[in-house]
Amino acid sequence: MIRRRSLLGGAAATAAAAAASPLLAGCGSSSGSGAPRLDFLSLAWQEESVKANKALVSQWNAAHPEVQVRYVQGSWDDVHDQLLTSFEGGAAPDVIHDEGNDLTDFGSGGYLADLTGLLPAATRARIPGAAWDMARFADGLYGVPFLQEPRMLIANRTLLDKAGVHLPDAARPWTWQEFEDICKELSHGGSAARYGVAWPMSSPVSVTLNLAVTTGGRVLYATKDGRTQVRLDAADSAFPELVRRQVGADRSAPSSALGMSGGEVLPGFFAGRYAMLPLNLSYRQQIAQQAPKGFDWVTLPLPVGTGAPDGGRAQGVSPQTLSVSQSCKHKEAAAAFIDFMTQTPHLVQLATGDWMAPTGTDALRDPALTTDKLGWSTGMAVASHLVASPALGRRGYPEWSDKVATPALQEFYSGAISLESLRTKLVRDGNRVFDRYRS
Amino acid sequence: MLGLDRDAWFLLLPALIPVLVLSVGPLVYGMALAFTDAQSGVTRSTSFTGLDNFADLRLDSLFWDSFRIGLVWAVCVTALQLLLSLGLALLLNQNLRFRWLARTLALVPWAMPEVVVGIMWRLVYNPDAGILNNTLRHLHLTSGHTDWLSSLTLALPAVIVVGVWAGMPQTTVVLLAGLQNVPVELHEAAGIDGAGLWRRFTHVTWPAIRPVVLSITALNFIWNFNSFGLVFVLTSGGPGGKTRLPMLFAYEEAFRYGQYGYAAAMGLVMIAVIAVLLTVFLRNRLKEADQ
Amino acid sequence: MSTAAAPVPEQQAARPAPAAPSSSPGRRVLRRRAGRTGQYAALLCYLVFLAFPLLWLVSTAFKSPRELGSVDPTWLPRHPTLGNFRTALDEQPLLHAALNSLLVAGAAALVSVAVAVPASYAMVRFRGAVSRAGTGWILVSQMFPLVLIIIPLFMVLKNLHLIDSRPGLVVVYVVWTLPFVLWMLQSYVRAVPVSLEEAAAIDGCGRWRTLRSVVLPLLAPGLVATLMFAFVTAWNEFFFALVLLKTPEKQTMSVILTHFTGAEGAADLGPLAAAALLATIPSLVFFALLQKRLVGGMLSGAVKG
Repeated sequence: MIRRRSLLGGAAATAAAAAASPLLAGCGSSSGSGAPRLDFLSLAWQEESVKANKALVSQWNAAHPEVQVRYVQGSWDDVHDQLLTSFEGGAAPDVIHDEGNDLTDFGSGGYLADLTGLLPAATRARIPGAAWDMARFADGLYGVPFLQEPRMLIANRTLLDKAGVHLPDAARPWTWQEFEDICKELSHGGSAARYGVAWPMSSPVSVTLNLAVTTGGRVLYATKDGRTQVRLDAADSAFPELVRRQVGADRSAPSSALGMSGGEVLPGFFAGRYAMLPLNLSYRQQIAQQAPKGFDWVTLPLPVGTGAPDGGRAQGVSPQTLSVSQSCKHKEAAAAFIDFMTQTPHLVQLATGDWMAPTGTDALRDPALTTDKLGWSTGMAVASHLVASPALGRRGYPEWSDKVATPALQEFYSGAISLESLRTKLVRDGNRVFDRYRS
Repeated sequence: MLGLDRDAWFLLLPALIPVLVLSVGPLVYGMALAFTDAQSGVTRSTSFTGLDNFADLRLDSLFWDSFRIGLVWAVCVTALQLLLSLGLALLLNQNLRFRWLARTLALVPWAMPEVVVGIMWRLVYNPDAGILNNTLRHLHLTSGHTDWLSSLTLALPAVIVVGVWAGMPQTTVVLLAGLQNVPVELHEAAGIDGAGLWRRFTHVTWPAIRPVVLSITALNFIWNFNSFGLVFVLTSGGPGGKTRLPMLFAYEEAFRYGQYGYAAAMGLVMIAVIAVLLTVFLRNRLKEADQ
Repeated sequence: MSTAAAPVPEQQAARPAPAAPSSSPGRRVLRRRAGRTGQYAALLCYLVFLAFPLLWLVSTAFKSPRELGSVDPTWLPRHPTLGNFRTALDEQPLLHAALNSLLVAGAAALVSVAVAVPASYAMVRFRGAVSRAGTGWILVSQMFPLVLIIIPLFMVLKNLHLIDSRPGLVVVYVVWTLPFVLWMLQSYVRAVPVSLEEAAAIDGCGRWRTLRSVVLPLLAPGLVATLMFAFVTAWNEFFFALVLLKTPEKQTMSVILTHFTGAEGAADLGPLAAAALLATIPSLVFFALLQKRLVGGMLSGAVKG
């Protein structure tokens, strides 16, 4: 057996024989003087949140001349590839902004530092246990969940009022059954067809898993020995069946939206073609920016399943996280920086900048985030019920998602296959994929 | 040495050294992975597994489905690219007015960065607010709600159009440069002899640009077969896997699932198949190189 | 293609019209005029197809967020605004990135073509094992999945201390564009008649002078085409730049552009379009300047001479 490291090193050395030089290990982040310098890869991309992140970094640098942090801009589109390459090459950033789903493989691959002993007690107390579960896998804690966003219903208030629909609030959300009836009522065919709801499903798997939680399902289950098992029982399939009914039988949701992303359904929403959109909390920013003058919209809580745990309010979510790379040479300093970023006022700042919800218990109650304007308070109320997405910590999830679940769900939602054959595909083909990751 | 004299080595050397260090080395290493069970992760060890990956691959029906899609995509895009670009290059070779402007505008797809191209075309194809549906609606050709990228039948043709669009400039430029090899005298002579346009094309133009056409078509075919970035932005391989190109498959195998060994095996199989196809296509040029 | 081999007009016009067996000179002129119109129409169709996304980009760049959310988009912005440009320039170091891209792409294109000219000449004129191996490498290197090469390449570059350096990126781009440049230059070299070189040799020119003063001028259009290709490839290249450069000040344009996109296909459309427009213009200007040289027409001169 050859160790992978030596294999790579050997090839590299042969190829570079002409200019062979001693291997410089490490993250390359230390300046010569010995004072630590940390590279912070941030994925903030909206104007306000980039500003908030940069402001916090300069604040830290001013207060900690002994540990300087450099802000490095990354992008959600390609962060996985960028990180994998630099991990393999041994030149990764020190502090990494990423999301829960990505931590599974990077954590179990040994690229990320286990934060269990590194984080100050204050950090651990600030964030509730349900959030920590989102970044803890079998043997370690690989990130600090700091931002999260629930799925909400964004509605065209004018259309709902006209139809005499009574708007729900966070205290009493609709059940899925009520939602389905209301959608039917709001829909009509004809040349200028209107639909009660549009389901943007450009990535159908994560939506399906996370919302299956509201009906007491999971689809992906962990067995006692840490393996993954796929099931599609009544509780698991209640949500996908609802979408399928709305698209196929009720005609209260358009099939054309199934291939679109959240941003792409907005023009149709503004034009009154769709009365409601199930979208992530942060889409409010885009809506506030793009909605035509006088367009009256409102943020509603997502419907709940009856008889599910937590009254059906719990949705699965994959949070945004801050991690430390294993190759970082100043892990304590990196953990201290993460602690700084996740202090309550800073969490509030970051959440505001991204129009998302913080994970911290106090931050969620902060007056700046619980105003009634623009749906903030409803969002925070829903966010306090979030739990870890069923996909988190499941090795093999990306492969199952790409090869099995995405095509199967696309075919199911568009009406090409039956529930029975969806189950066969997800479960039989799925368990085969997950078996590959047993070790 | 190897049939080359000293001068020839001097001519080759500046290109040879960087290529050996930065291309051949990594390439050989990457191919060697196909015979191992290499995975991502510092904690996992790698061992030599012989042909196991290939045995698994033989039974991987998803991969072969995607391979078929890849062939359809590559053949369609390459053929359309060649036909359309040849026409455009011949037009741009004429002494038309505003030729400089036309030539510059024809290169627009080249000048636009890929990430932008993908996003722009998604806007074009948007069922609700896209200009394509909008235009069709105004012309009363369709109801105007056609679902281009998520329909099981339309998605592949729709991305092929984008593929052709994106690849036309470089083919056009190459052909345009190739047309400079067509001796004007021959053309004139043929014109005087009263040869028609088609005859002049087949007897004078075509023989002169044939080597260039062969070269660019071979490369285009390889590139198209290997490309997936644009399609990935447009459809992420959907709907129902209908636009899942084989290179996307290999990419995901390596970078998303961390199965380097298996992905390398896919790479080798694709090389083998393309190599066979190209050998048939390029047999004359290769024979010439052998002489 | 009906327009296929229409002769170069001035030269024909200068010549007394040859007696045409089937049609009178007047008819011929008429037919030619109709042909001309057809050519312009065909060209127009091509340009509409190829350039309309650029127009759409321009239009998007000047639209307010509110207009971008409209279900009935118009070509002309109803309320044109420069806000997107301000945001884009404000948020990301675009001009600096453009300068980086220009330096890296320019250097890579020049070096690539400079090393490829002698090499491709050698590969065509000295056939043998090395040429064959070269051809094989060119094709295989274009076929193998990039993702499997990137990690070993990264290790090699790290040992050479070429990570996070712009010269390092130039070297990678040179190697990356070489296969195409070599492959295409070979076909252009092949079109240069060996008889010309033999004539030069008889005149007492050494191999180097033959290459410089006989072969090179004849290659001009091909050189320009490959130069354009190498430049554009390097200018648009994204993945190497992403993984090889860490320092924010060294980043190139294509990487900066992705900073306007978020997760799951979300994008800050207005500023992205504005930035993309700024990224597209340099290439277009470069094309406009170079396109004339695509047509050298020197070969005919040389044959005559």
